[in-house]
Amino acid sequence: MSAEYVLEMKNITKRYGENTVLSDVSLSVRPGEIHALLGENGAGKSTLMNVLFGMPVIHSTGGFEGQVLIDGEETHVASPHDAMLKGIGMVHQEFMLLPGFTVTENIKLNREITTPNLFSRILGKNLKTLDMGSMSHDARKALDSVGMNIDEYTKIHGMPVGYMQFVEIAREIDKKGVKLLVFDEPTAVLTESEATQLISVMEQIAASGIAIIFITHRLDEVAAAANSITILRDGKLAAVRKAEDTTITDLAELMIGRKGEAVVEADSRPAPQGNIAMKIRDLYVDMPGEEVKGISLDVHEGEILGIGGLAGQGKLGISNGIMSLYESSGSVELFGEPLTLGNAKSALHSGIAMVSEDRKGVGLLLDQSIEDNIVFTAMQIKGEYLRWYGPLRLKDAKAVRGIADQMIKDLDIRCFGPTQHTGTLSGGNQQKVCIARALAMNPRFLFVSEPTRGIDIGAKKLVLETLLKLNREQGMTIVMISSELQELRSISDRIAIISEGKLVDILSPNASDADFGLAMSGIKPSEHKEKGDGNA
Amino acid sequence: MTKSKVKKIIALVLAAIALCLIVTGVICLPMRNSEKGQDIIADLRIRTLLNATGEGVVESYVAIAKEEARVAAKAEGKGMSAIRKAVAAAEEEARAKYSNFEVDYDAIDPAPLYDAVAGYYTALKAYEDCKAEAEQAYYDLMYPAALEKAEADRAAKLEAGQDVPETLTVNVDMSGFTATEEMIALQAQENTAYESVGAALKTIYPVMDDAALETLQKTVAGIVYEAGADFAALYDTYMAAGSKGALKNTFGPFLIRYADDVIYLAVGLLIAALTVIYSELLIKKLGIPRVIIGLFFILLCLLSLFFDLELDVLLSNSLVRMGMNSIMVLAMVPGIQCGISLNLGLPIGLVAGLIGGLMTIQFGFPGWGGFLFAIAVGCMIASVTGWLYGHLLNRLKGEEMGVTTYVGFSIVSLMCIAWLVLPFTSLKLKWPLGTGLRNTIGLDNTNFEHILDDLLSFNIGGFTVPTGLLLFMLLCCLLVWLFGRSKTGVAMQAVGNNPRFAEATGINVNKMRIIGTMLSTVLGAVGILVYSQSYGFMQLYTAPRQMGFIAASAILIGGASTSRCKVSHVLIGTFLFQGVLTLGMPVANMLVPGSTFSETLRILISNGIILYALTKSGGASRG
Repeated sequence: MSAEYVLEMKNITKRYGENTVLSDVSLSVRPGEIHALLGENGAGKSTLMNVLFGMPVIHSTGGFEGQVLIDGEETHVASPHDAMLKGIGMVHQEFMLLPGFTVTENIKLNREITTPNLFSRILGKNLKTLDMGSMSHDARKALDSVGMNIDEYTKIHGMPVGYMQFVEIAREIDKKGVKLLVFDEPTAVLTESEATQLISVMEQIAASGIAIIFITHRLDEVAAAANSITILRDGKLAAVRKAEDTTITDLAELMIGRKGEAVVEADSRPAPQGNIAMKIRDLYVDMPGEEVKGISLDVHEGEILGIGGLAGQGKLGISNGIMSLYESSGSVELFGEPLTLGNAKSALHSGIAMVSEDRKGVGLLLDQSIEDNIVFTAMQIKGEYLRWYGPLRLKDAKAVRGIADQMIKDLDIRCFGPTQHTGTLSGGNQQKVCIARALAMNPRFLFVSEPTRGIDIGAKKLVLETLLKLNREQGMTIVMISSELQELRSISDRIAIISEGKLVDILSPNASDADFGLAMSGIKPSEHKEKGDGNA
Repeated sequence: MTKSKVKKIIALVLAAIALCLIVTGVICLPMRNSEKGQDIIADLRIRTLLNATGEGVVESYVAIAKEEARVAAKAEGKGMSAIRKAVAAAEEEARAKYSNFEVDYDAIDPAPLYDAVAGYYTALKAYEDCKAEAEQAYYDLMYPAALEKAEADRAAKLEAGQDVPETLTVNVDMSGFTATEEMIALQAQENTAYESVGAALKTIYPVMDDAALETLQKTVAGIVYEAGADFAALYDTYMAAGSKGALKNTFGPFLIRYADDVIYLAVGLLIAALTVIYSELLIKKLGIPRVIIGLFFILLCLLSLFFDLELDVLLSNSLVRMGMNSIMVLAMVPGIQCGISLNLGLPIGLVAGLIGGLMTIQFGFPGWGGFLFAIAVGCMIASVTGWLYGHLLNRLKGEEMGVTTYVGFSIVSLMCIAWLVLPFTSLKLKWPLGTGLRNTIGLDNTNFEHILDDLLSFNIGGFTVPTGLLLFMLLCCLLVWLFGRSKTGVAMQAVGNNPRFAEATGINVNKMRIIGTMLSTVLGAVGILVYSQSYGFMQLYTAPRQMGFIAASAILIGGASTSRCKVSHVLIGTFLFQGVLTLGMPVANMLVPGSTFSETLRILISNGIILYALTKSGGASRG
């Protein structure tokens, strides 16, 4: 145990096919320290942890380059089980607990303490008797060490979420010879007081000599708990900092940074200040994983409003709530007229169209042709593309083909023809079909949700240029919701940042990286500065 | 070597073999009726004749030996029992001696026998033709009375509640037939001709006496003349009689005999070659299951030709069965399109249709009026039950496959009680004793039996085209297709395809599912009536239970999955499914005679396809 670092990962590079997700990343953790791993969604945090745990997804895609050293010795981690044997534990973001089992059984799962009996002597070790007494004793000890006074015989089912998190931690601590624990966004599901408790538990654990890797995006928690910090950005190592040498603003700036070249560059102009196109007041949306908890926002006519924020913070809930895909409450006015929430038809009738972030789930009929997809909404809502054939009102094949050909040409949808099924198109072309469907409605107001998710750079450029063109040439008001700050900054007039279901601030696209970083972790940049000034 | 190269080589080899076979077949086939063919048959015939008469000759030898032994023993003055013993010993000895009696074909001069047999054949043919003609005339005379009797019998049986076969069998009593004068005259000529055959035989078998010849006359006549037999049948008969030795060279005649089968084989190989070459295209366009089943269907066609079954009649039957089942298969389409997957609760619609049919008979509405009334009543009941059924399915989303199956079974069981208590009073419907409706209710020309089948139907050879049935089928398909292009139809398909997408467009998902379920149920009601009019019977009680599964497997064969389908899948699927069943049974009976193999095959095919489709329903369905 003389090594300086309990874990060293040196020059890790990982490629999925052509796509490099980690390039030359290093991470060093000292015994007994809390080491924060920071980064936006997709910065490479999960992949780095997958490498550490020897997940099958890494091995089955050609392994990785670089070294992993545990206690100074080069090691090969073959599987998550192997990682466990080597003293590395993981506290998962989604709980890996069996609801019907007791706390003890969950903590001791697959590591049960057993005593031999008559049958096990004859038929093998799988029939040994469980030693419940010593098992619950161990469980008690582990629970105490995380400061939990819950009875060890309670079943998991029905427990508060926070308790499950602690049981999960207790299970990892109970493992013999644990040297390093990884906490993957542990505070995401916890209340504020539970989060505080968790942080103190983490400090306690660290004090007992176990190192902790703390993955999070909450900068204030990092500031409160971490000893040292590694920041990843875009699959690359952005910086390694000691807690005492850095500030939250510094971290925020490092986390956001300028990522690559902008694909599209909009002519800068003053943000339109005219009529209010959409007035949102106290919007609550019950969208699982993307809850909106009381947002008020004005969208001006003729502007492109970007909505950003980290995943799971509620930015997607806004458009889904207003389009009534999920239960929502609050008041929304469109061009001065109130909008009934909870009725998708009336939202579409009033002239709002939406390009959903869930292309395959909500945005497309995968088993139907491009042309049928494009005209679907217009046909159902406005009764367009229908014609009387004698007594029957049927699809007007000619008109449908006309608009489909037009859209395929305008949006450059790469396909064999308008009758190709959308399920067989590439992601970028599917996205274009979704946009075409929204445009076929001739909307006054357009929601575009994650328009560039999972599509290649060429398609990305075309999609963004199309949005820009619609806004500049037709004056269409567009709300673009995206996780990619870079693309929001490239075409938006203003950018609203959402964190934990609430609006943090509305920033100009030219605001500094630090401001964006702070806003994304829920800290209003202007207020923080005041605080910072006060300290200084 | 690349895969496509291998394919090309295989296809070329197959095609080359096929070409050789076709050439052989085409050369050999006309030989049957040429002089060569006649010579082969004549050779075989003489040989068979000699073999058969040879047995008579043995009998003659045995008789002579016995007689000699008896005389000898008597001369020695032995007692009765000793004489009997000696005679028996002599018989045994003679039989042993002549057991391998065979005339040396090369040692005799068969020319006179040839001529005599030829003469006898002509006389015999003249007589048989004349007889057949006279008998037919008599049959025609007696037929109307017999038909009347058969129909009366059937009606009586139905009255008594017994099951009756689908086809009417008419037995004409031929016992009153007497020979005409012309026949008698021709028979005399035939006897004269036989005498010359006898004379020729005597020169070959000197031992043969007149008595033996007389007993052999029937056998000889049978060998020389077989009514209506062609080359292949004669060849088979004579070969079976052990006359192979007559042929110097057996391969040529063998080829001539099997020339037609050689051509069928060649056609099969050509199809195989084409399939190999175009395999990728076929699989892409049709999917593997349809290619396999399509090939199986073609194989069955070729096999039925090989077994000399009447392919035209079989294909005609397939067409009728396709028509009668198609509407029930079509009923699956709205179900799949609206997202309830396979509507295995189809019996809900079927019983509605049956009630409509029963009411037509109860009220005695004849012909088209009755049929349309039955459809109208069936549709009304089906739309109400379908609406309720739709609500049930909306409450149990995600479990449709289990729920529909269960609903189908329960409605059939429930109706088993209902059939017993429904207040129908017509004697055509009720059991003659006690209460309740009959198991099988025969339709006849007073109501709607074959009303669609017979409309504008016409024959091409043995191939009957049920025009009305097919037109009705196409009309229904057209209506469903048109509905699919209406605003509601498009919305309904979106619901089935992606409910969340539909919801995001403000479509009432539950309403669309109910519309689809109702449509499916209504089509089921129409379907069972079309089925019944073609079948000629309405089957109550447990009969509708399996029909949902049969319809489901047909549409799956046609290329549909549990989440997407088109009207074309109905037509392809029903034809393949019913075609395979119709052809499969007689062919299976020829392959394994006297077994229930064909029934087993039917169950295997229909249930196997459902299983196959269910394995594919997970998501690999997208083409």
